[in-house]
Amino acid sequence: MNDLRVIAPNGPDYPVGLHDLEDPPRLYVLGVTTAAPAVAVVGTRKCTRYGLNLAEAFGHALSRAGWTTVSGLARGIDAAAHRGTLQSQGRAVAILGSGVDVVYPAENTDLYRSILREGGAIMSEYPPGTRPDRWRFPARNRIIAGISSAVVVVEAGVKGGALITARLAAEMGRPVLVVPGDVDRSASVGCNLLIRDGAHPVLGVDDLLAELELILGKPPNQTPVLTGIIPSTGLAMDDLPSIWGCTPAEALARLARMEIAGEARCVGDVVLPGSG
Amino acid sequence: MYAAATSVALVGGEARPVRVEAHVGRQSEAFKLSGLPDTAVREAKDRVRAAVASAGIRFPNRTVTVNLAPADLPKGGTDYDLPIALGILAASKEIPPLRDAVVVGELALDGAVRAGSHAFGAGVLSARQNVPCLVATAVVGEAASIPGATAYGVASLADAVDLLRGGLGTVEPARPGAPMSEERASDLADIRGQPIARRALEVAAAGGHHLLMHGPPGSGKTMLARRIIGILPPLAIADAVETAMLWSAAGRRRGLVVTPPFRAPHHTASKAALVGGGSGNPVPGEVSLAHRGVLFLDELAEFPRSHLDTLRQPLEEGVVSVARRGSSLDFPASFQLLAATNPCPCGYFGDGRRPCECRQAILGRYRSRISGPLVDRFDLIVRVGRVEATEYSGPKGEASASVAHRVEQARAAQLERGQINRCLEADDGRESKAARRLVAMAVGNAVLTARGGDRVRRVARTIADLEGADQVEEHHVAEAVGLRGEWRDE
Repeated sequence: MNDLRVIAPNGPDYPVGLHDLEDPPRLYVLGVTTAAPAVAVVGTRKCTRYGLNLAEAFGHALSRAGWTTVSGLARGIDAAAHRGTLQSQGRAVAILGSGVDVVYPAENTDLYRSILREGGAIMSEYPPGTRPDRWRFPARNRIIAGISSAVVVVEAGVKGGALITARLAAEMGRPVLVVPGDVDRSASVGCNLLIRDGAHPVLGVDDLLAELELILGKPPNQTPVLTGIIPSTGLAMDDLPSIWGCTPAEALARLARMEIAGEARCVGDVVLPGSG
Repeated sequence: MYAAATSVALVGGEARPVRVEAHVGRQSEAFKLSGLPDTAVREAKDRVRAAVASAGIRFPNRTVTVNLAPADLPKGGTDYDLPIALGILAASKEIPPLRDAVVVGELALDGAVRAGSHAFGAGVLSARQNVPCLVATAVVGEAASIPGATAYGVASLADAVDLLRGGLGTVEPARPGAPMSEERASDLADIRGQPIARRALEVAAAGGHHLLMHGPPGSGKTMLARRIIGILPPLAIADAVETAMLWSAAGRRRGLVVTPPFRAPHHTASKAALVGGGSGNPVPGEVSLAHRGVLFLDELAEFPRSHLDTLRQPLEEGVVSVARRGSSLDFPASFQLLAATNPCPCGYFGDGRRPCECRQAILGRYRSRISGPLVDRFDLIVRVGRVEATEYSGPKGEASASVAHRVEQARAAQLERGQINRCLEADDGRESKAARRLVAMAVGNAVLTARGGDRVRRVARTIADLEGADQVEEHHVAEAVGLRGEWRDE
C-alpha cells in the first residue's frame, strides 16, 4: 500500500508551481511525486457526452506526449481526463477536496486506485479523514492551477470550479486553453466566456498539443508510447501496426483480443474504444 | 469402303470419345455430314476438301458420308477437320486403317494442321484408353504432358498421311511440353501502405480463403485483388490440365499454363456468361474458367442479386449445374472468390474522415444486395482504408516473390494434410486450449456468430501454417478474428 507522506512548502519534493500561491499549503500525498511538468484538464460535472469523449482524448494525448495530467477526481470531465491518461498508462495526479483517504464521489474508487497503481499521485491539503465538504472545493482548485504549467478547460458552466481554476491559473500567469462550444449550451457558456476574455481556443487534440509545445516547449521526456490503448477519437485501422510498432498480423491479433474483451470496437476503418 | 477415326468431344469439361465414321459410296459425287454437327463442323466439308487437294491427294469423286457418333453428343469447333479428312482417306484406301488413334486438329486450306482447342482432351483420352493420339505439332507438348498419353505431332495433312503410312510404331512420340507461367505483370511492391489488406490477401492466398474487401473508391481494392495471382502457388499439372479442358470447352485455348486462372467478369455479365449455359452445347461460364484459380467480382453490390445467388452452388459444391434440354450438365467450378465493393453508393460509409452522403433508404438497398448467406461464405472480410497522400510517396511494399514464398510453404503444409484450409470442415484437434477458449469467448461475447467461429478456426489454421506452426495457438485465432470484420455491423 502507498504510504502517506506530508510535504511542507520548504521540503525538497514540494511542487515548484505551488510557490506561486499566496499561501503555499502543506500537502498530504499518496503515490509518487515528480518534478515533471503537468497540464490540468478540468471541467464541469454536468458535462455532455461530447465533453467526456474530448476530455478522455485529451488525457490520453497529453500523457502520450509526455505530460503529467492533473485534475480533481470529480465526476464528469475530471474523471474522463484521468481515465484517458490511465488508458495510455500515463501519470495522473488527482487533487482532492477531502482527505487523501476519502474518495469522493465513491464511484471513482476504481479510478483512484488505478491512478496510484500506474505511478500517479493523490494529493490534498487536508489531513486524512477530512470529509468532502462543498466549501473546500474552490480552495482545492487553486492547487490544481498552481501545480500545473497550463490549464485546459473542456466544458464549464457559468459558475463552477472549472471557471475558478481557470481564473486562478490566469492570475498566476499560467496559459489557459479552452474548448469552445455551442453558445446556447450551458456546459459551454463558461468556456466561451473565457475565450472572450482572451483564453486560447482549443480546436482539437493536435491543436492542443501544438499550442502547449509552443508555449511550454517540448515535454521533458517522452514517455514510451503504450500499445493497445485506443483514444476516444479513434485510430485508423491501417495505422495500428505503426502506432503499436508491430507487424500487421500482431496488430490484428491485439485488436481482436481487445474487441473480445470489449475494449475496442471497429466502425468502418476506425477503431474506437469499447463500451462507450 | 468404310473407315472410322476417333476424336474427342468435351462434355462438362470432360473428354468423351467421338467416332468419326466415313463411308465412300459408289454414287455420284456428294459430301454429307451427319451427327449433330454445329456450323463450324459443317463447314469442315469445304476445308477438308481443299486441304486434301493441297496435300496432293485425290479426294474421292463419289458419295462421301461422314457421321459423328454418338449422335446425341453435341459436337462443335474445328477440331474434327483432321479426323474427318483422315477417315475419308482411310475409307478410300489412301492410308491404312486408323485403328484407335485419337485425332484432333483444324485444317487450313493449304493442308496445314492448326491447333484447335481439344489437344488436352485428346491427350486425356489417349492416356485413359491407352491409345496414341495425333494433334497439331504446335500443341503436341500439351497432349504429351498428360501422364500416360502417347502423342504425335503433325504439322500438315501430308505429314499425318506420311506418319500413318509409315506406321505409328516406327516413330518416337512427343515429349511432354514444359509448363508455362504467365508473367507476373503487377507486383505487390507497387502497393504502398494498406498493411491490413495486404496481410488479408496473403492469408487468403495461403489458405484459398474467399476474401471480401470493402472500402471507399480509390483505396486500391482492385489493385490488391489483381495481385493475388503473383502470390498463389502454381497449379499442379493435373489441375492445369483440368482447367485447360474447361477453357477448351468454352472454345478458348489455354495451354499448359500453371499460373492459376484469374477471371474478373464485369457486373453486367449475363447469368449464362457467369455460370455457364447457352443454347445448344452448353459452355462453361466464368465460374468454371476460374476453376482452380480466382474469380474476382469487382463492385460486388452492382451484380444483380439473382446472379450472385447462382454462385452459392459452386461455392458449396465446387461444381455448377447447367440446365440442358431436360437434363443438366455439371461443370467443375472450384474457385477462390475475391470480391470488392464500395461500402455504399457514394463510397464513404464508415469512413472516419468523410461523411457518407447516401440517403438511408438507398444505403439499405445497396447493402442488402449482398445477401447474408453470401457474406457468410467469406472467411475474410477486410476494410481497405483510404490511402493518405503521404503514403503514395512512402516506401514500396514487400514484393510478391517473398510473399509467394511464405504462401507456398503454408500450402505445402495443407496439402500434406490432404486439403486446403478453405475446405476444412471440422477442426483437426490441433488447437491449443487457449486458442479454443478465445474462439469460445469471441462467440460468447457476440463478436462472432457460431458460423463465424468455424470460419475463424479455418483462417487460424492458415495463419498457423504461414508461421510453420503445427498447433493453432491463441495468437493465430486472435488474428483470424481481426481479419473477419463484419460487413453489416457498421
